[in-house]
Amino acid sequence: MAEATLKTVPLDRTRVLRWLQTYGVYAGVALLLVVNIVITPHFLSAENFRTQAVQVAPVIIVALGMALVIGTEGVDLSVGAVMALAASVTALYLGYGLLPALLVVAVFAAGAGLANGALVAFVGVQPIVATLALMVGGRGLALVLLPQLEDLRNPALASLGSGDVLGVPYLILIAAVLALLVAFVVRRTTFGRQLLAIGDSRPAAQLAGLPVRRVLIVVYVVCALLAAVAGVLATARLQASDPTSLGNLMELSAITAVVVGGTPLTGGRVNIAGTVAGAVLIQLLTATLIKHDLPPSWTQIAQAIVIVCAVYAARGRGKR
Amino acid sequence: MRGFPLPIHLFSVTRIGVTMQRTTHRSRLLARPVAVALAAAVALTASSCAKSEDDASGDKKPSAAADAGQKVVTPKPGSKTCTIEAYGGKKIDLEDATVGFSQSEKEANPFRIAETQSIKDEAARRGVKLLTANAQSQFSKQISDVQDLLAKGADLLVIAPLNSDGWDPVLQAAAAKKVPIVTIDRKINATACKDYVSFIASDFVEQGRRAADQMIEATGGKGEVAILLGSAGNNVTTERTKGFKERVAEKAPGLKVVFEQTGDFTREKGQQVTEQLIQSKPGIKGIYAENDEMGLGAVAALKGAGKKAGDVKIVTVDGTRNAVQGVVDGWISGVIESNPRFGPLAFQTLDTFTQGKEVPQDIVIQDSAYDADNAEQDLGKAY
Amino acid sequence: MAPPAEVLAVRGLSKTFPGVRALDDVDLTLHPGEVHALIGENGAGKSTLIKLLTGVHRPDAGDIVFQGSAVSFATPLDAQKAGISTIYQEVNLIPLLSVARNLFLGREPRNRFGLLDFARMHREAEEALGAYGVRVDVRRPLRTLGVGAQQMVALARAVASEARIVIMDEPTSSLEPREVETLFSVIRRLRDDGIAVIYVSHRLDELYAVCDTVTVLRDGRRVHHGRLADLDRLSLVSTMLGRELGEVRSEGLTKFTGDHHAADTDPVLEARDLTVPHQLHGVSVSIRPGEVVGLGGLLGSGRTETAKAISGALATSSGRVTVAGVPLRGGSTPAAIRAGISLLPEDRKSEGIVPGLSVRENISLAVLPRLSRFGLVSEARVDSIVDTFIERLRIKASSPQQKVGELSGGNQQKVLLARWLAMNPKVLLLDEPTRGIDVGAKAEVQKLVDELAADGLGVLLISSDLEELIEGSDRVVVLKDGAVVGELTGDEVTEDKLMRTIAGHAPDRDAVEEAATDG
Repeated sequence: MAEATLKTVPLDRTRVLRWLQTYGVYAGVALLLVVNIVITPHFLSAENFRTQAVQVAPVIIVALGMALVIGTEGVDLSVGAVMALAASVTALYLGYGLLPALLVVAVFAAGAGLANGALVAFVGVQPIVATLALMVGGRGLALVLLPQLEDLRNPALASLGSGDVLGVPYLILIAAVLALLVAFVVRRTTFGRQLLAIGDSRPAAQLAGLPVRRVLIVVYVVCALLAAVAGVLATARLQASDPTSLGNLMELSAITAVVVGGTPLTGGRVNIAGTVAGAVLIQLLTATLIKHDLPPSWTQIAQAIVIVCAVYAARGRGKR
Repeated sequence: MRGFPLPIHLFSVTRIGVTMQRTTHRSRLLARPVAVALAAAVALTASSCAKSEDDASGDKKPSAAADAGQKVVTPKPGSKTCTIEAYGGKKIDLEDATVGFSQSEKEANPFRIAETQSIKDEAARRGVKLLTANAQSQFSKQISDVQDLLAKGADLLVIAPLNSDGWDPVLQAAAAKKVPIVTIDRKINATACKDYVSFIASDFVEQGRRAADQMIEATGGKGEVAILLGSAGNNVTTERTKGFKERVAEKAPGLKVVFEQTGDFTREKGQQVTEQLIQSKPGIKGIYAENDEMGLGAVAALKGAGKKAGDVKIVTVDGTRNAVQGVVDGWISGVIESNPRFGPLAFQTLDTFTQGKEVPQDIVIQDSAYDADNAEQDLGKAY
Repeated sequence: MAPPAEVLAVRGLSKTFPGVRALDDVDLTLHPGEVHALIGENGAGKSTLIKLLTGVHRPDAGDIVFQGSAVSFATPLDAQKAGISTIYQEVNLIPLLSVARNLFLGREPRNRFGLLDFARMHREAEEALGAYGVRVDVRRPLRTLGVGAQQMVALARAVASEARIVIMDEPTSSLEPREVETLFSVIRRLRDDGIAVIYVSHRLDELYAVCDTVTVLRDGRRVHHGRLADLDRLSLVSTMLGRELGEVRSEGLTKFTGDHHAADTDPVLEARDLTVPHQLHGVSVSIRPGEVVGLGGLLGSGRTETAKAISGALATSSGRVTVAGVPLRGGSTPAAIRAGISLLPEDRKSEGIVPGLSVRENISLAVLPRLSRFGLVSEARVDSIVDTFIERLRIKASSPQQKVGELSGGNQQKVLLARWLAMNPKVLLLDEPTRGIDVGAKAEVQKLVDELAADGLGVLLISSDLEELIEGSDRVVVLKDGAVVGELTGDEVTEDKLMRTIAGHAPDRDAVEEAATDG
């Protein structure tokens, strides 16, 4: 008897854990949807789903870049600061028109990514330290460029933030296209495979002659560019550039989405669908608690529980 | 304590880079590490060829004239006062004195900008020599700032404290020199009329009550309303909430607060929370935002949801120019001012005190309000 | 005069790790003032023995009697307090503290107020270090010193803390010749002071220069002990490697055909005077197409380093490599790979396979850019290459999608071979290609190497398995202390000759020679 239970329990637990690793985040999203449809008034409406999607779009975009960086066994803490930088640069150059402003934003973001990537790839600084410098410095620079919130009235920017195609807001379209693009890059390109190999075993990738440094730098540049896109979109939605608060704690939201979505922090694997679902899960969780007017501290506790569950489920993944 | 020195360097140096007025600072810039100089160069080029939307119009600065006329709320009878005999020290003539002003946060939001400007304007108006310092939101820097001001010969101090606690070393240094201190907008945890003279601030509870009055008027005292709370654990949040709820309960039992969520005092969070709110409670009549930014976020959310101005009544607190413009445009029903112009009152208090007369220990600055009737004409007064 | 009582007596020490009998019934006796050489090849059990002595691990069986009483140390700190100090290759002191602070860590001199007496500390530190030939400003942080000087500080600290036994694990691996000399004179002083030393090294000349006695371990057992002077170098090497001299060996224990492939053509690979500070001293190797060149030598003789230097994975300070007559840019793995050099690294698990990726992705990893257009991978071309090699090398995996980390060692090695063969290399550098894989897979890999050479590839073979090296190679270049000490060709390629070459030759490095004559 006792033996039998001893044998079956661990087996079941491994199976449950493996299932949770793969499908836990989708199950969580499904569960929250069902619960909300039952208990939340006015939940089942196109308008509501549109709201949730629009709110989560910038988080998804940042999380895509974060997933790539985490895939290389790194982390980018500077995404929130890059969003702020993008916001202030947008405001600063909007006088030339939206497109020129976006080009300048891209230049700044690429510069930030290049700085992160170079520190990691050439100097060999640990990613968490390398990007911490820009996390603090980037927001400082953003505030120097634009010391306070500035309202923006550019019609092109406004329509970017609130316009739609056949009822689907641009924000959602852009996030969806970027998610598909990043998933494609990870699965089907040389770059994607090299990225995973580097994240899984950097010494092996090096000895296999992969362009390790180039891949790392490109990854950090892409991550910064995606953060900048999110920064511009959030600014467009707000119709104001707010470098003081835009993107605050975004790095944590993005890392949470990636980890909850089943991408291990140890690198070598990137789960884009899971990352999107992870961001949606957190968004739905927050929305549920807000809609039911529960105290804000509950939101933080709920998020913490989700992260703990995700980390617990991911525990087995580290072992090989 | 200096965890991350980089941004501070970056900040100060780039600042200098941008204005580039004083050659003494130029040489210091050259002496800094290359990376920092590089960042300065980036900031310089970025701002030199930048062209924001408003460069042409340039109408943003509020006029200094808006400062004129500031009244103290009449102190309640029996409230404590302070005199120079009780405090210790000697009478001086304010006009010959040097006043030191220590600002807590960097001037990155309208409130701090207006606050510092008001102190500077009043000093200039009275012809008083003013020394200023900005702690850039670092408490350790504020402590050394104040000690610096004392060392540079400040006879009187006006402090906008970043924290309430931890002032003992400064207070001791000031007490040794018998320098009177007036604190503005935040209180110091110390004994009035012994460690400092007076504390001048708005009454946040009263602001909440007045916001409730506006809300009652706008909604007719019936229906469901929501509150966009400020940051959790902040006394401004708790006091503005307390006043609002008290007054609603007392004057309009028909008005129900059905939703209280934090917007962290930012426009973005205000927008996001309001979007959720109007989804789940389409019948909401009014939104009380505990600062202007969240209120403007709520406006953005309502616009995004296709609502019209006035569909949902919004009342906010602070009195920034953007919010008052919102009143003019009809999106916001009322704005309760939180007056940042401490200059006249602070100097008046110091003047009275140094002449040997008694001054109240707690001084409440008068806040005005904006609604549809006066918003357009008083827009210039908003900061 | 009676011999002094033994300071350490180890009896019947055994230790098993999961799946490995690391140490099996080992004895060791140490007297005061004795310098004892502890030697053995990889996996012989040296480090396990040291870790048991210093409290890192606890023995499964056996006693450790230290200064007359049985001891069982819970931590290395306990061992150190009791009087057993260890000097590792990597200095384990605190790099940011000053030299003096490091020297006196934990027993700082204090003045009468209970505060640190820096003046006294600095004075005593200078005196103590001066005795070791280290003259530095003792106020400087330790990390500003050279590695040799840091090691001296560690040594001085060990002696000053009244150690009875000092264990030195490869102490000279990163020292300059001059520093080696200083170290030897210090060891002699320790001996005169009655301190026992356990000296672990692969450099035979050093052993003969300073050691009195020797224990040889092999496969976890003690296979020899006694006075070092009674054991000549050749016997020492053969004992270590487990080969009897002059033993007649039957051919055909390996799957090598024994045919000599080398044609009389120009070399496909020529490495000249490769030098890496502390590791290689002007190593030259050339390989002709179809030739298997073995690299012989003991552990630490520079075999792996040579392979890595050729493949660009280790930066050289001088020397050059040409592939088919074209000079190669040094220090760049991608450049070497483009030129046609492929390295199968020694540490398969951490430097070879990418464990989390599939068999398919591991095989296609290096060749991927060639199978891509505009960065997009052609899955069809990858599939065809992967299928070809899975079949040709008989890689056993449940599917090409299986993770490489889940395969057996032999199949992992085949996946790595497939990765390189897909690149159509000119030269294969095989570093321990059959280590840790089962007999069947071993035979397959050996056969494959033969076939590849027959196809005209140049092969550099590194193996600790003497049979494999001798039977697989057409020619063997023998390394010792990072320099070539001999080359065996034709009939000379025998175990006997190889061991004699390893043991017999005088070292190339002047300093060591001096040190040796010095002793």
